[in-house]
Order: sequence, then C-alpha cells, then structure tokens
Amino acid sequence: MRRQIAVLLCFLTGFFVVVAFFIEQDPIPDINEKLDELLVIVFAFALVLGVVSFLQHHSKKIRRRDKGWTSSVISISSLVIMALLGIFESSIRGTGVIGDRTTFDWVFNWVFTPLQATMFSLLAFMIASAAFRAFRIKNIEAAVLMVAAIIVMLGRVSIGQVIFPQSLAISEWIMNNPNLAAQRGILIGAALGAASMAIRVILGIERPYM
Amino acid sequence: MSDAMKIGGIDKRWVYLLVAIGALIPIIKPLGLPVLSTPAVEALFEKIESLEPGDVIMLSFDYGPSSAPELDPMAESILRHCFQRDISVVVVALFPLGGDNQAKIALNKIVPEFPVVEGEDYVYLGYKDGGLAVLRRMAEDISIVFPQDNRGIPLEDIPLMQRVQNYSDTELSVSLATGIMGEWWAILVNAQFGQPVAVGATAVSAPKYYAYLKAGQMLSLLGGLKGAAEYETLIGEHYPELKERSQIATRGMDVQSIVHLIIIGFIILGNIVYLISRSERTRAGGRLASK
Repeated sequence: MRRQIAVLLCFLTGFFVVVAFFIEQDPIPDINEKLDELLVIVFAFALVLGVVSFLQHHSKKIRRRDKGWTSSVISISSLVIMALLGIFESSIRGTGVIGDRTTFDWVFNWVFTPLQATMFSLLAFMIASAAFRAFRIKNIEAAVLMVAAIIVMLGRVSIGQVIFPQSLAISEWIMNNPNLAAQRGILIGAALGAASMAIRVILGIERPYM
Repeated sequence: MSDAMKIGGIDKRWVYLLVAIGALIPIIKPLGLPVLSTPAVEALFEKIESLEPGDVIMLSFDYGPSSAPELDPMAESILRHCFQRDISVVVVALFPLGGDNQAKIALNKIVPEFPVVEGEDYVYLGYKDGGLAVLRRMAEDISIVFPQDNRGIPLEDIPLMQRVQNYSDTELSVSLATGIMGEWWAILVNAQFGQPVAVGATAVSAPKYYAYLKAGQMLSLLGGLKGAAEYETLIGEHYPELKERSQIATRGMDVQSIVHLIIIGFIILGNIVYLISRSERTRAGGRLASK
C-alpha cells in the first residue's frame, strides 16, 4: 500500500506539473508556484541527506581503520569546522558586501580556493603529457581530429592569430558548424532520453525514488 | 633502441618542466599579444552599450574557485562596464560550492572603483540553493526566493528592488556558469520566460553552448579566458580610462598562448615519433619475416 501511495503521488505531481505548463487558468498556476516553493525546500533537504551520507561513509572508514582513514578524519573535521564557522559567524550580514570578512571566508579564500586552483592547474601539465603520449594519428578520423584540434587551439589564443591569421575564422567556423551539429545531436538525444525517462517515472515504470 | 623510441619514452617530468617554463615566461615578461573580439562576445558588449542609465541587469555567479581564473575576469569586466554606464546590477549566487564567495570577491574588488551605492546601484541577494526551482520562481517574484538581501534588509526596503519584481523588470540576465547552470538559464529563463540571456562559460564547456547561441536561446557567449580577454579589449577600446584596470584575462592569454603552442608542439612531436617508430617496427618485422 505504501508503495502504491508513493507511485500515485509521483504520478499526480508529475502529471500536474506537465499539464500546468499549458494551462494558465486559476488555480493551476498558483498551485504550480507552490510546488516550485516545495522544490526549493526539498533541495535543501537533499543537502542534509548529502551530509548524513558523507558522515556515515567516513565514520565507517574510521571505525574499521580502512586504508586512508586518516583522510576521513580530516574530511569530517573540515566539514564540522566549516559548518560551525558558517553557522555561527555572521559578520557579513548587517555590514553589506563591503564589510568585515569572516573566518569562514578566510578559510575558503586562502585554503579551499588555492587547493582547487592547484588541482585544476595540474591539468595543463597532464594535458601536455597526454598530448605527447596519447594523441596519435592511427587513422583518418584521428588525423581530422588532430588538425581540427590544432586549428581551434591556435584560434583560441592570441599568438595563433599572429602565426596563422586565418586560425580565428577557421576556428569559429569549426565551432559554429561541425561542433554545433555534434552538440545539437547530443543535446537532442539527451533531451529525448530525459523526456522518456520522465514519462517512465511519472507512469511508475521506473521508481528510482523508492 | 632507436632515437625515435628514446624520444617517445622521455620522462614526463621534462614535459612538465617545459610547460612550467612556458607558463612562467609570459608572467615575468608579458608579451602584449593582440586580442581580437568575436561576434559572440561583441553581442553582450553591444547589449550593455544599448541600455539606458538606470536600466537593470541580473548577474548570477554560478561558479566556484575552480572556474574563477576564467570567470572572475568576466565578472569584473561586466560589473565595470555596467557601473561605468550607470546600469544597475542585481547580483545573485546559485552555485553551492563558492558562488557566494566569488560574488563577494568580485563586488569587493569592483565596487570601490566607482561611486556606486549598495541598494541603489547594485544589490547582492546572496546564495540560494535549488537551481532550476529558483530560476523558475524568480520569473514570478524574486522576493519569494530572496526575501532579503545579503545584509538582511527586506527587499521592499531596498530602492533598487522596488523597481525589480521579476525578470521582466530587468533588461538582461548574465550567468557566469560552470557545469550545467548556464544551460538552465538558456532553456528556462530565455526559452520559457523570454528574458535575454548571456552566458560566460569555462573554455571546456563553451562548445556545448554554441547550440543555444545559434538557436537564439542565448544572446551572447563568453567562452573561457579568451572570451574574458575579448570583453576586456572591447572595454579598453571604448573606455580608455578602464583599460589598465581590465587586463587580467588579456595578460592570462599570453600564458595560454605559449602553453597552447607547447601542447601543439608535443602533439606534432609525439606523432612524428609514433610514425617513425611504426615504420621502424614494420621494417624490422619485414626483415624477420624474410629471414
């Protein structure tokens, strides 16, 4: 019975939201707006679920002394410290954007930001190494890909226009034509897949929420 | 082992060293390479140029520190452009992992450069979780999603927000986005609510936005550091007094130029080594077969 209620709720909500898109007669838009508000609240609960799942995963690793359990201690400590700082510090509020910065901001700007910058900076080195070792012309398709990649890489940087002035125009053409065609194909395919998945969920054929 | 195979087996730390040197040289001695603008970027500049003083745009910080080197210069240039032309800006942050901080960093940097007043010329509404639901709700009434600004002042008490109830009271929405968030602005805020939308995206995600740009669901696309540098160039050409301040992305393009050249060099070198090695193996195989 509980399963049936969940499926029925899903069907009614999904069907209503789809129908409400086409109907502007009262009270449909008002109810739809209330559902949007509900969605914002549900999103907030998803954060809570994420935190609970994170704590469960890492506390289990610590209890069992699994490989890398010390990293789990650091992860949980970081979560707790940042959460406490975020909750209890509120000096930004009341002083406007241009005001005192909190310890939360300090940790974010001087610990988290450099860590992320470092991680993503490494990509340049990895890509150079991968380009040398893996980007091989093994067939005609790979050759076309390589030529296109080199032209786009030149077209996307200032020096490209100095070395090969037409690189910008050719690069724009590649982005606006072959790239666009491929992207449209992917997007339309993904949208059709999402629509069919949505229909399956609304009709109760797929039940990922249970 | 042949010379080609020796080069092919080079220690990758030499590759890393070359990239590091290539990145450092333009930082120490900028090359000052020219940046040419493209129509996709010019469209945003011209849209903001076409606005009247007092008009309002919405600027959404939908990215975090990982995308900041590419998107921060866009945010700064757009804010400078708007404040220079007395265009009011409603700032929001929708990215959970740092959108709020990026917005504060940009405003803290740009606001002191201009005689603008918070609440009148700009307002920061803070971060809100919920993505698509938030975008949908703002089409009806922004104050339902953001009842107060970042200072805790109710929206009805903020002069700027007394003029803005929803998207239709703004002339343009700009999303500086990482991941999928820019797509949400295109498919929802533009396609469903008819709001002109411009997206500033990281270079890696820019290609997917061309589909929305060509479909007319986006007014403009600023792609990566190049897009930011193009916008800086346009600002420098039209407002020489802002040129020196708007140079971060343009200088970054020098570094990107050299690193791209190094990567292209490695692709070509790697393939020369591969082709030579393959022909050597084929010849060696032929000799073995003939024996």
